[in-house]
Amino acid sequence: MSNPIALIGRAATYLLLLLAAFISVFPFFWMAVGATNTSADILKGKATPGGALWANMVNFFSSVDMPRILFNSFFIAGVGTALTLLVSSLAGYGFEMFRSRFRERIFGSLLLMLSIPFAALMIPLFIMMANLKLINTYQAIILPTIASIFIVFYFRQATKAFPHELRDAARIDGLKEWQIFFWVYMPVMRSTYAAATIIVFMANWNNYLWPLIVLQTNEMKTLTLVVAGLTSAYTPDWGVVMVGAIFATLPTLIIFFLLQRRFVEGMLGAVK
Amino acid sequence: MAQSGYERSQQVNGWLFVLPALILLGIFMIYPIIWSLWMSFQVGRGMNFSFGGFTNIMRLTQDPVFLRALSNTLIFLAIQVPIMLILALLFANALNDSKLWGRSWFRTAIFLPCVTSLVAYSVVFRSMFAQDGIMNEMLMALQIIDNPIPWLADPFWAKVVIISAITWRWTGYNMIFYLAAMQNIDRSIYEAAKIDGVPAWARFWYITVPMLKPVILFTTVISTIGTLQLFDEPNLITNQGGPSDATLTLSLYIYNLSFRFMPSFGYAATVSYVIVVLVGILTLIQFLVARDRRA
Amino acid sequence: MTSLSTGLKRSLAIALAGVSMFSVTAASAGEITVWAWDPNFNGATMNKAAEIYSAAHPDVTVTVVDFAKADLETKLQAQLASGTTDGLPDIVLIEDYGAQKYLQSFPGAFEPLSGAVDLSGFAPYKTELATLNGQGYSLPFDSGVTGFFYRSDILEEAGYTAADLEDITWSRLIEIGQDIKEKTGQILLPIDPNDAGIFRIMMQSAGSWYFNADGSVNIANNDVFKAALKTYQDLVASGITKPVAGWTEYTGSFTSGDTVGTVTGVWMVGTIKANADQSGQWGIAPIPALDGVEGATHASNLGGSSWYVMSAAPNKAEAIDFLNTVWGQDVNFYQEILVNQGALGSLLAAREGEAYSASDDFFGGAPVWQNFSDWLGAIPAVNYGIFTNEADAAVVAQIPALTSGGNIDEIAAAIEAQVSQQIQ
Repeated sequence: MSNPIALIGRAATYLLLLLAAFISVFPFFWMAVGATNTSADILKGKATPGGALWANMVNFFSSVDMPRILFNSFFIAGVGTALTLLVSSLAGYGFEMFRSRFRERIFGSLLLMLSIPFAALMIPLFIMMANLKLINTYQAIILPTIASIFIVFYFRQATKAFPHELRDAARIDGLKEWQIFFWVYMPVMRSTYAAATIIVFMANWNNYLWPLIVLQTNEMKTLTLVVAGLTSAYTPDWGVVMVGAIFATLPTLIIFFLLQRRFVEGMLGAVK
Repeated sequence: MAQSGYERSQQVNGWLFVLPALILLGIFMIYPIIWSLWMSFQVGRGMNFSFGGFTNIMRLTQDPVFLRALSNTLIFLAIQVPIMLILALLFANALNDSKLWGRSWFRTAIFLPCVTSLVAYSVVFRSMFAQDGIMNEMLMALQIIDNPIPWLADPFWAKVVIISAITWRWTGYNMIFYLAAMQNIDRSIYEAAKIDGVPAWARFWYITVPMLKPVILFTTVISTIGTLQLFDEPNLITNQGGPSDATLTLSLYIYNLSFRFMPSFGYAATVSYVIVVLVGILTLIQFLVARDRRA
Repeated sequence: MTSLSTGLKRSLAIALAGVSMFSVTAASAGEITVWAWDPNFNGATMNKAAEIYSAAHPDVTVTVVDFAKADLETKLQAQLASGTTDGLPDIVLIEDYGAQKYLQSFPGAFEPLSGAVDLSGFAPYKTELATLNGQGYSLPFDSGVTGFFYRSDILEEAGYTAADLEDITWSRLIEIGQDIKEKTGQILLPIDPNDAGIFRIMMQSAGSWYFNADGSVNIANNDVFKAALKTYQDLVASGITKPVAGWTEYTGSFTSGDTVGTVTGVWMVGTIKANADQSGQWGIAPIPALDGVEGATHASNLGGSSWYVMSAAPNKAEAIDFLNTVWGQDVNFYQEILVNQGALGSLLAAREGEAYSASDDFFGGAPVWQNFSDWLGAIPAVNYGIFTNEADAAVVAQIPALTSGGNIDEIAAAIEAQVSQQIQ
């Protein structure tokens, strides 16, 4: 520590990290300040808090049926996340624990499927949803996201770290395979689930293009759609947009802070 | 007899665990994929189409917009992915030091961007990079520039904004992967190297990086796929790929061909298979490079 | 493909029916659903119309669903392309440039209104652009009649009056702009290098477009279009423009006093008047004419939109009756939306109303609506064709070449080449 070169290196590290942290957090600060300013002030680049927060909030909440919109967003993201975690972790566990040559091939082909851009799949998906009479329903949004290839990959990687002795012991105790999964694997892997919850919830909450196409009425819109709509008026009120942006960001932030402690731990398993 | 019974039950269980996911993928992924594969051989407008063989593939070679979108996408890939992953690796390495003060604070702050809402962050970036926005104000106050930079109105700077935006959003995400992997590395290796007088940079380069190879490969593949499909940022921040197609990406072009222009679904599907082929080739190269170094 | 998966789909549908999640089913009878894109503008006018209609027809309710304009177009195109009518609204707002694209690409999707509504009462250029095979399909809504909006106080400072802007050409406007810059240091116009609107304004003001009446591409040898390219190049080279990116920066530049004015559609009035502190400091002049072009006028159009009824609409009859009763006849309604939303409708009879003849102190006491109505009648009708988006994209792609002083003929040829390639 007394070495001057090491000290300089130390100082440089802190400087780099401070700069990175500042750049990372600054847009959040900008958003919060924006919510307190009038539209005209935001356009002028005013970087200090103003007194328009209440007016912006009132305008935002009066523009749409906010409780319903929030319910839609939370329902879609919440149910979608729970189902995704269940189905995709089952598959990740299955691919890793019960290896067979044929399933390995299927697994390998999943990666290529991940690379097809969603815009190319929207029309056939829409036709399918119309045939199933699911246009303008929560199911239409949730169903296509449940089997997430990325999350299946993630759980398969994480399962490599799952101690096989635990499974063997459970088998000797006479537990069935599904019981091992639900009673042994899930509790042991709770950090992995916590990390996956953040990733999946974030993706569902931010889902934009597909809900836009499938949801048709005001009662069904999600917060993401509402905020996007606010920005496109002939004369957008940027103060209101900033309030909307904060409300669109808060839930994912809160979930992240709630699960943060387990998050790094959970990623740990996934990269072993 | 008992052995084969066990084998069979293993087989049955294996299928039972993966089946729900495979059924859902079959319906909501494979069916649309087959549809789009079939569409890529069709020509025509809207839903009036006919078999066109390789017409769409020929069209790709003569389409200036496609070539522009392709080169933009590859530029983003070649510049953004290395910058982001190197930054993530450096931050992770700095944060891996257990004696570092404020470690969890830095980690949280740098990770924060990736939990922001997409719409919110694009609105904020657009206003920050406006001509009279805070970015220009700060740079001018620091005397780095004399005149405001037309961030979003100039083809070069618009690319810079998009690269900055994606890097801002995803660096912390990749950093967490590296950080987690670094904590799996046995401390004693570092201690031994330290005693032998190996400098910090060499410890990083000759111990950390090789140990992280599988994670680096994983994040490279995922980031490559993500960047090749880049859509949200150029759509929302630079006004649908502007200015003058400077940030037009392949995904955005597919979207334009399907939903903004006279619908040309067959051709749009063909462009999307260009992305699939690119991902296939690049992933293969990345795996080969990773294997080579190991030898 | 379809037969293979039908069985699977049916069984899945049955399975899903068992899953009882919340869902909103088709609209109930007597409920007219409308898709619009600006809750403060077209959405607000539609709500006002609904209020009037519901007073006389208490059994009918009108629900306006707002989307971003680009989003609405994406939705409509995806839905029409998929061939399913499930979830489509009864009435949809479409920007005029896209009218023929939708009408021609999706035959049978829209209901002709010719028989039910007297379309002769509307501005002819509005009804023509939505006519296909002799049938009119739209109930024309707002006009995009253009004007040159400017800060009269700054012009005055430089020694110019409103009369100096009457009957001028673009080259004269450039001279004035340079003089203003010299005397006051102010930049005249904001220009968004990612938007082809200014070219559309210039072309239509001389009765020309990207395409001929038969739909063939008319760019490389189109003298009007090339004059527009030249004018744009001169504007940028003269130093009287400021580059802006996107709508907000664009409107922000002249409402904040950063630029002196802009050439745009009448619907900008609301945005400008939102800055109450600038009352009396604004003026509106007719737009400059293109230099040396045959048939050049001072009247043009930018944007504007119309209401369409979907053929598959569950409440088609009510929707048509609603449009006809309020939008097709109610002169008082047009006065209200003019005053409250600044929406200049296309119903000619509405011009006789009180609000249209009123003068506006915000614009120095000028009878702005009367002026716009007069210019509206002079807009040359052009056939927008079905590929305006493709042509716009090709023009925008060449703007860097244009601003860096490239050869006009080569640029026009490059644009034509891209458009021809894109519309195959």
